[in-house]
Amino acid sequence: MPATDIAIVGYAQTPSLRDANPSEVQLLVPTVAAAIEMAGIGRREIGFTCAGSCDYLTGGPFAFVSNLEAAGAWPPISESHVEADGAWAMYEAWMRLQEGDIDTALAFGSGKSSPSNPSEVWAQQLDPYYLAPLAPDPISLAGIQARALLDSGKATERDFAQVVANSRHNAASNPNAQLKDAGASVDALLAEPYLRNPLRKHDCPPISDGAVAVVMARGDRARSLCERPAWIRGFDHRVEAHQPGVRDIRSSSSTALAARKAGYDGGPLDVVELSSTFSPQELILLESLGLAPDGPTKVNPSGGALAGNPIMAVGLVRIVEAAARIIDGSANRALAHATSGPLLQQNLVCLLEGE
Amino acid sequence: MEFAGEIGQVGGSFAPETGVCSHSSVSEPRITTTKLEFPYSRTLGPVVGAFLAGLREGKLLGIRGKDGRVLAPPLEYDPETGESLGTDMVAIGPEGTVVAWTWVDAPSPKHPLDHPFSFALVKPDGADTAMVGAVDAGSAEAMSSGMRVRPRFAKEPHNVITDLEAWEPVA
Amino acid sequence: MTDTAKEDLVMEHLVTLTYHERLTDNLNRFADGLLEERIIGAKCPSCGRVFVPSKGYCSLCVVPTTEADEIEVPDTGIVTGFTIVTPVAYYGQTKTEPFVYASVRLDGADSTIGGQDVTGVPQSELRAGMRVKAKWKPREERSVDGMTNRGWSGVDGVVESFEVTGEPDAPLDEYKDHLF
Repeated sequence: MPATDIAIVGYAQTPSLRDANPSEVQLLVPTVAAAIEMAGIGRREIGFTCAGSCDYLTGGPFAFVSNLEAAGAWPPISESHVEADGAWAMYEAWMRLQEGDIDTALAFGSGKSSPSNPSEVWAQQLDPYYLAPLAPDPISLAGIQARALLDSGKATERDFAQVVANSRHNAASNPNAQLKDAGASVDALLAEPYLRNPLRKHDCPPISDGAVAVVMARGDRARSLCERPAWIRGFDHRVEAHQPGVRDIRSSSSTALAARKAGYDGGPLDVVELSSTFSPQELILLESLGLAPDGPTKVNPSGGALAGNPIMAVGLVRIVEAAARIIDGSANRALAHATSGPLLQQNLVCLLEGE
Repeated sequence: MEFAGEIGQVGGSFAPETGVCSHSSVSEPRITTTKLEFPYSRTLGPVVGAFLAGLREGKLLGIRGKDGRVLAPPLEYDPETGESLGTDMVAIGPEGTVVAWTWVDAPSPKHPLDHPFSFALVKPDGADTAMVGAVDAGSAEAMSSGMRVRPRFAKEPHNVITDLEAWEPVA
Repeated sequence: MTDTAKEDLVMEHLVTLTYHERLTDNLNRFADGLLEERIIGAKCPSCGRVFVPSKGYCSLCVVPTTEADEIEVPDTGIVTGFTIVTPVAYYGQTKTEPFVYASVRLDGADSTIGGQDVTGVPQSELRAGMRVKAKWKPREERSVDGMTNRGWSGVDGVVESFEVTGEPDAPLDEYKDHLF
């Protein structure tokens, strides 16, 4: 049984920016410092560090090595890296904490999407034989998924627009969000032209640069550092087959499974933060978790990934947004989700609770 | 802190207390262009190789999964169980059905066609799963889920998936 | 399988990725300086080490450095280490003859500039500790276009090579902690 007495005690994020001037590591340096400062520990105390980023996104082999300078790697530290969203870096750091010999861990994620062309970069994660040479960009794939969802009768274009309106409204009170509009209206959104029929531009995420960091601590150390730690009661991730044609892309079985394995029993949730980068995906994910879009659980109060999509950080940002609401007392139980691969192929769920 | 100051200028409010906002006296910022190129020669193996060889002959091939369903495109390992699926290919097509689609108004240089087209999941006849491909339908109005399509093969094959150049609506 | 042509056994796949990124402010100032034959580094306000070029922070103290921390260093220094690379023909390789790949610690700097050509003596006579001076390209040939935020190609477009000056070698103590 995984330990359930590991908590988030510090965090920081940059705003999600269309085109950040600083380099990726320059975004990370103050972010990591701020997370450590919030946690109230010394940098050298950290027992393990794990970073998430994508060299293809940064634009150079071993680009992730530079990011480590934000952690302060001299004298040498115990660290690891995942070529994945910071949420998976946090998962690895959480696993390391299970050993019981260290008390604190640092995890961070970062990415600048502004320098590259999504059509080029994201083809690199696809099957090199049957998919990559066609260069089906993320928006095209999401468009196919959206059509499939509409055909199933499970959602309408109005439902998609409602997801976006909710995101814009919620983002208006989030200083870190990129796309905000307190006055967004479903009818106005539906009047916009298609970008990838049936998706409109606002159904798709912005291009974003950003970085995020968390500090975790165990047991009494967590209690001594933070008045109300965000306890990680469950953490799990599952992956489906790669080829979109062999999966049911209208639902997310791996999210449902990850949530179950993370201990989510369907009970009350105050907040859910989902890494749906396309509006139909929010509906798919909510269904997989058994949540209604307009039910008692607050969905993406931060605005979610539609309001800011710093790839490689965005999933960990969801965890941070959920944890922040536990730490500030406005929520007792929260679920955060991260995703990876084409069309929600791989999904991670983190279940957080206040004490 | 120089870069926190920059973050602030573009609308963020990040950690102002950890540094000093400073204005730097740079010349006009330079945009650097980096081009990474990876020239892969990917070996194909007997399954993908057979599929691409089939395209050269104007034929579509699938493979039977462990549960008996016919997989298109043919995979080497069962997506559910991970077991090797061998090399006995199954003839599929020639026509297929569009399962779901989207419309690309402004293709990028990397896309398979240089004029507006549909990216779609197409299930070849005889297959139980769909393949991602381009449908050269002319307009979004000509697209619909369930429509029938036939493959158009490249005149000059290059041993790559785009030797299936596109699907076309069946008249 | 036996009658499959060799070219049918592989799929050629050229992956091309293009990135357009704004050079960071610190590298932008470094580039400005290079075009004027000036080499700018930054001195860490905490440990006092000088990094050339500036990264915008001290990687050892993890504290930011600003324009106010920037200082000029001379274009003379020491070869702290080197190798002679025999070029292998790979996609994108431009070198055809064995070439010098040296780290140079400029006077006053704590970091080294890597991948530099050292000229003025035959390759076989190169030694760590040799004192060198930058041989600048003519002004009209200087280019900083190859500089990226990744940190590669720092002075390559403006400095043709580092030339051995003929002065006595620097003692090992002067560079043993700055080899790479």
